[in-house]
Amino acid sequence: MISDMSFSLREGELCGLLGPNGSGKSTLLRTILDIGPSWSGSVRICGLDSAALGRLERARKVSFLPQEYNIASRLTVRETVLLGRHPHRPPWQGDSEEDLEIAAECMAMTGVESLSGRSFAELSGGERRLVMLASALAQQPKLLLLDEPGSSLDFRHAVDLWVLLDRLAAAGLTILASTHELNTAARFLDSVLLLEGGVCRAFGTPAEVCTPELLGSVFGVALEVRPDGGGGILVIPAVGGSS
Amino acid sequence: MKPLSRPGLWLLLTALLLAGAALSLAVGPVRDPSGWLILRLRLPRVALAMLAGSSLAVSGCVLQSLLRNELATPYTLGISAGAGLAAGTLILLQSALPGIVFMIAGSAGALVAAAAVWGLARAGGGGDVRILLAGSTVNLVGASLLMLIEFYSPSSRLVEIVRWMMGDLSAVDATAPLFLVPFVLAGMIVVALRTGTLNQLSMGDELAATRGVRVSLESNLLLAAASLMAGGVVGAVGPVGFVGLIVPHAMRRLAGSDYRILVPASAMGGMILLLLADVISRVVASPAEIPIGVVMSLAGGPFFLALLLRDARGGRP
Repeated sequence: MISDMSFSLREGELCGLLGPNGSGKSTLLRTILDIGPSWSGSVRICGLDSAALGRLERARKVSFLPQEYNIASRLTVRETVLLGRHPHRPPWQGDSEEDLEIAAECMAMTGVESLSGRSFAELSGGERRLVMLASALAQQPKLLLLDEPGSSLDFRHAVDLWVLLDRLAAAGLTILASTHELNTAARFLDSVLLLEGGVCRAFGTPAEVCTPELLGSVFGVALEVRPDGGGGILVIPAVGGSS
Repeated sequence: MKPLSRPGLWLLLTALLLAGAALSLAVGPVRDPSGWLILRLRLPRVALAMLAGSSLAVSGCVLQSLLRNELATPYTLGISAGAGLAAGTLILLQSALPGIVFMIAGSAGALVAAAAVWGLARAGGGGDVRILLAGSTVNLVGASLLMLIEFYSPSSRLVEIVRWMMGDLSAVDATAPLFLVPFVLAGMIVVALRTGTLNQLSMGDELAATRGVRVSLESNLLLAAASLMAGGVVGAVGPVGFVGLIVPHAMRRLAGSDYRILVPASAMGGMILLLLADVISRVVASPAEIPIGVVMSLAGGPFFLALLLRDARGGRP
């Protein structure tokens, strides 16, 4: 359940969605996509009222990486990535040269091109996340919504992921990503939206939002926030435990 | 096993289909040098086997995508039980009816059963496991009601019902394929226009919705199409098991899992399988014929188990 929420992201902004488990991060992403529980209010995408957009028009502007999908799918990696082309063609039509080129590009971006012939069901959890990200990118959206994109990724792939998201944002893609990996993500984020109990507790730059007081009060644990020497921050538990 | 190339796949399936149809036309206890009798008797049967095989196989494909479960078939969802109950009731009341009445009753029964399963599962909070459980429940209730009908049937009707429940291509008249065509055609058109949607739904409803799929509408349409086809077939020839399970499973090995290829490949595979099963039903106890439903159950069960064992050895899920 989320309430009383208002915020806007500019074109090319990379925003992190933070909050404890059950704080409404996934619900907020579903509300923007209009696939969650009923709600009131309005969402504007590229200046247009989302409710007035057709379902396919909205799918051409917004794509989503959910936490859950059919992990037993026997589609190949390439076929899975090509599913992202659905809003751009009739549902019975085959893959055009353009579709194949876009899918190849997206697989290369996420580093899964070597897996293209493998069955999705045979991949590791981390590989599946990257394939699903490639599929979301193949939708060629203006706004990319990611629900914990780094979960199941090892350290190297998690860093690669945020570098890629940073590059995509620099190229003009607006990204809203829920995450618990603040230490990895913070140096790449332009802004942070902090949720608690379905309410926005803070929205601003990482430096403004990621303070020990604010994070400590929202997460219910005493935290220290230190500069990491590279433009990011390190959030570590303070000695002593709960706040 | 790596899927075949597209030209190789269509060439193989076309060759097998032609061979199966030729075999089905050529083999049987009746010898007729003029060929007229054979064409009059066997051609409708070949057509019926092809219509029934493709319908059951494509119904299986559709249900497996909707439920994201390769074990889903018109049987597991209670669709065949609904069709069987409706057609069985009709036999009890009046068996001397035109074949199309049984097909309409079968489709209506299938649609009611599918709606009941879908509705029960949704009312219980949705979820693929709930749908399978609801399907099993409707299946059991349908089978029990059919047994109750049998219990109160006069012996002459009882023989008819039991014979029909074995699944039999020989027991229907020559016009049956013509009557079945509208059911199959309507269902096939609905599915053929939505093969890409089946791919989306196979990954999950939520993801499909974000890609512009009207999940509820499309799922209901596809479920209705699968019920219409499977129900029409059950009404026409009685229950014929395993087609919706074996064919999509085998075709995934040959054609891959992309429904844009899997659906037409399964349609052809279903035709081939029922043509061959029909030939077997005519030759194993010649000059007598055994019901095709019995052949499919006796041959299909071990064949499917063998496929599963081979998959397990190959490490496939």
